[in-house]
Amino acid sequence: MAGGEKPELIINGKRLDGRGPADLRPIKIEPNVVKNAAGSAYVEWGNNKIIAAVHGPKEALPKHTSDPEKAVIKCRYMMAPFSSLEGHGRTGPNRRSIEISKVTKEVFENVVMLELFPGTEIDIYVEVLQGDGGTRAAGITAAAVAMALSGIPMRDVPYAVSAGKIGEMVVLDLNMIEDNYSDADMPVAVKPLTNEALLLQMDGSFTKEQFKEAMNLIIESGKEIHQAQEEAIKRPYKEIMDKYEK
Amino acid sequence: MYIQSATKEFIQELIANNKREFGRTLNEYRNIEIKKGVIEHAEGSAQVTFGNTKVLAGVKITVGEPMHDKPNEGNLITGAELLPMASAEYEMGPPSPEAIEVARVIDRGIRAAGIIDTAALFIEEGKVWDIFVDIYVLNYDGNLFDAGTMAATVALLSARMPKLEGDKVISEGVTDKLKTNGIITSCTFAKASGKIFIDPDGNEEKFMDSRITIANDGKEIRAMQKGLAGGFTLPELNEAVEISFEKHNELKSLMERALGE
Amino acid sequence: MQRIVIPGEKLSDTAVRMHNTLVHQGKTYSTIVGLYNDEKNILIPMEGLWHPAYGDTVVGVIEEDRLNTYNVNLNSPYKGLLISKFVQEQLNKGDLVEASVKELDKTQTVVLMRPRKLTGGKVFMITPSKVPRVLGKGNNMIKELTTSTKCNIIVGNNGVVWIKGGNMQLAMDAILRIQEEAHTSGLTDRIKEMLSKG
Repeated sequence: MAGGEKPELIINGKRLDGRGPADLRPIKIEPNVVKNAAGSAYVEWGNNKIIAAVHGPKEALPKHTSDPEKAVIKCRYMMAPFSSLEGHGRTGPNRRSIEISKVTKEVFENVVMLELFPGTEIDIYVEVLQGDGGTRAAGITAAAVAMALSGIPMRDVPYAVSAGKIGEMVVLDLNMIEDNYSDADMPVAVKPLTNEALLLQMDGSFTKEQFKEAMNLIIESGKEIHQAQEEAIKRPYKEIMDKYEK
Repeated sequence: MYIQSATKEFIQELIANNKREFGRTLNEYRNIEIKKGVIEHAEGSAQVTFGNTKVLAGVKITVGEPMHDKPNEGNLITGAELLPMASAEYEMGPPSPEAIEVARVIDRGIRAAGIIDTAALFIEEGKVWDIFVDIYVLNYDGNLFDAGTMAATVALLSARMPKLEGDKVISEGVTDKLKTNGIITSCTFAKASGKIFIDPDGNEEKFMDSRITIANDGKEIRAMQKGLAGGFTLPELNEAVEISFEKHNELKSLMERALGE
Repeated sequence: MQRIVIPGEKLSDTAVRMHNTLVHQGKTYSTIVGLYNDEKNILIPMEGLWHPAYGDTVVGVIEEDRLNTYNVNLNSPYKGLLISKFVQEQLNKGDLVEASVKELDKTQTVVLMRPRKLTGGKVFMITPSKVPRVLGKGNNMIKELTTSTKCNIIVGNNGVVWIKGGNMQLAMDAILRIQEEAHTSGLTDRIKEMLSKG
């Protein structure tokens, strides 16, 4: 949480960017932006701008990282040095990015059908070009689109979003300034088919009721996020079909 | 784990006959697109594509300390990241020698052309402006030097200049521009089958014998870098220099158009 | 009706046995991006990966020349292997070869047979699941491509395509178009028209 004087984040029931408590920021997903990747997607989620790409499956290297039973996932989440409004981020992995890479990887270990590709690795890259709060959630959402477009079979296309608390109000999809001064922040990745949480992190304070409310907001907003994912995955194929099928 | 999309014989035969893939001539650039201001958080930014090569440059301007040997000057710090997503041949990990070479060659051109007057970045004793230029390679298909120089230059030329209020850097909403002088363009030539050609793509870079980058500001040569094991004769070098000045105007007008939008 | 589906999308309210699907609580869901025909219960993958089978043609690059074997890069999760004593000609690292699949062994290695060195030309990748469409029914499409463009064309089941001679650009453009439009009808006619225009 940032220092300094806490700004007024909710005025007349509206948030600083005009959203109500349960509103998502606008989400735009563009498929296939990295030509050399097996699958890729660019997401603009509010002021977040993130590219996710998938390479593989390919021979797992170094050899000792491979698993004869299934594919292994390697994930790199990274913030670009120019991604933040304040200051210049030194490049290279830090404790935060290494942790996010790990929990992102675990989301995909659940949904990707790794057993189909023993001895191989699948690489997921999430590059945050501009960050404004909720980058891990937006990154997972984009990486799920990239994974589907790569043709690697998946049990589901997961989405992610965070919920939190400003004062005593439970709110969805915190941006950077809200995140900095919020009283709770909880990014969650969800498998839509079962509504299982595949990633869940939280800090701050929630009552049991507030936690339930936050989870409900997340699941409810998931319809909108998942729809944006679905539309982005289908778009390249649909555009061609629309051209010739009539 | 990577299959090159053309064989050596194929590329060499084309070049030997003064031809290239996709009907390009020896002195022709691929289609170039420039978009400035793509990252609002950065003081300046630009995305440049040369065919399938896609690079993004971001400029951050922060308050820092001067170097010991130049106490009255600010700093220009250029970095390049060859993102592992950009090519099956790139790997995760610390910057490769290739990435460092790209960053340093781009830095030299911009620095030598005096695009940034580092003396003007002095604030007060022990306090100067640092200008960070970071070049992100999003997709690789050859010629990172020219695409990177173009992205970095457009990012600098379109950058806003933050204000200092006490110790606080105010960047959002400022209308002042970063002060820059002139413009720099970079032309990279490859040599294969004894022929020299401009703007090598990924296949051509794989099979070229040597490479030379010449950056100029329209009046003078500002930076050069020769790469790989092959050599260039004096007439070849003179010819490349000549063409780099011809191409300067073409590249400059593309950049000016993007900056004017 | 045909429709595009994504992983996790419901295909049927009953359990249907189909490739690239899973059954959850008695209902059937896709595990891939595909084109689903709900009358015929057929799910065609849009970006399917290659699963090696006996007799498949592959195109790959010699990656390593070992004492008794060659490792072959097949641009796939599987490593190709050639046994030196069955190789008739001199092969070096970096050489392009065409070969047939003998078997996929337990270590996920594709054992290859009948290698042939490919010299010159160009290589490009297509989605392996689109290979049958590029070949066409009874190899009709590939015959048409070869006749019209005068190219040597080898389409590997692993999605690696090699072309040489003739109008290579046209051959490549046509093959990439088949890949891109494989899920549309009237494709054969459009490709024929494209080839006839040159």
